[in-house]
Amino acid sequence: MLRNIQEWTIVLAIIGLITLVGNWIGYSVMPTQAMPGMILLIVISIAGLALDKLLPFNIPAIAYISLIAITLSIPGVPGSETVVKWTSEVNLLAITTPILAYAGIAIGRSWADFAKLGWRSLIVGSLVLLGTYLGSAVIAEIILRMQGII
Amino acid sequence: MNLWKDWRLHAIILGIVIVAELIGTHKIAIGGGVVLLLPMLYAIVIGLGLYFTPLVKEKQSKNAENLVFLAVSLLIAKFGVTIGPSINTILEVGPALILQELGHLATLLIALPVAILLGMKRESIGMTHSVGREPNVALIMDKFGLNSPEGRGVMSIYIFGTIFGAVFLGLISGILATMLPIHPLSFAMASGVGSGSMMAAASGSLVSAFPHLEKDILALAGASNLISAATGLYVSIFIALPLTEKMYAFFMKLRNKKTKAEG
Repeated sequence: MLRNIQEWTIVLAIIGLITLVGNWIGYSVMPTQAMPGMILLIVISIAGLALDKLLPFNIPAIAYISLIAITLSIPGVPGSETVVKWTSEVNLLAITTPILAYAGIAIGRSWADFAKLGWRSLIVGSLVLLGTYLGSAVIAEIILRMQGII
Repeated sequence: MNLWKDWRLHAIILGIVIVAELIGTHKIAIGGGVVLLLPMLYAIVIGLGLYFTPLVKEKQSKNAENLVFLAVSLLIAKFGVTIGPSINTILEVGPALILQELGHLATLLIALPVAILLGMKRESIGMTHSVGREPNVALIMDKFGLNSPEGRGVMSIYIFGTIFGAVFLGLISGILATMLPIHPLSFAMASGVGSGSMMAAASGSLVSAFPHLEKDILALAGASNLISAATGLYVSIFIALPLTEKMYAFFMKLRNKKTKAEG
């Protein structure tokens, strides 16, 4: 467990630093300014990963991470204003860029498998994603309009 | 496993991030919509390209796969801290947030007939019952086995989604939201399809297209992804998969009748 926490901390610190560089170049936020928010996001992630290992429930780690982050940022919870202020300095898109860079290198290995699938999978796959995305948006739109929210 | 020791990999990622962010966001108008080219999209393409150069070895690619999971945890934490302050908004739009999960069923209405028209047999069941992420692969494996037509079908969509999912959703999200008369917040809810990187790409494009709605878009996308992760598998087990099998049987009957009439 301790070894895991040590590993997560070092790895997340590296990813965090890379993100801060991207946040600086792409969104003009000085790394020193975004540092407290990034450290907070790392601590929340580690806490969630640790809970996942410690607790016997069959719930994915990302659910714990979400719940901790939501709880800490709900108005009225002590310190929530600071949590929101610090983390807002870390741009969402600055976090996604390194993730997709790692993903790009990882999926290289699936490329050969994909090439075997052929063009029909390309069409069906596109429709699967399009259908899910559009279907959900249309239902959300109908309900939100019925409620008079939009 | 000592993932942190792979300095070669981290240096490559740092390089990709710097290049991608320097290129920056570009907008291309197509018809009535806007395609957003975002740094994250260059990052995945450059990463994939580098895999085929001597710079990246098999080891880096394997390590990168584990690192995606840890990097996504930061993203989930970021989405979490945007949900808290908007908790009242989320409770208010709760019914839409929960019911839009059923929108995932639209995928089989659109994709299943096309898969059958293209000549797929039972593969089409695995392909179109869901977006085919990890829980759905597990479900199909459990029910039909890895080497069944259904198993091959779900794997093909899993691989398609892994390679093209984020890029595809990132691109269509920007163009659909600027072209169709559907509110960006509805698209924000739709962004949570049950995959961290796809949600990031879809909601990232929305934020770029509608910067004034950033807080609400992120909060709703994050909440929706959480609900998808919690309920998606059950929707698949109890509704989507049985419905897909029924529709498959119906379309095959239709098809056989037609062939008989022609013959």
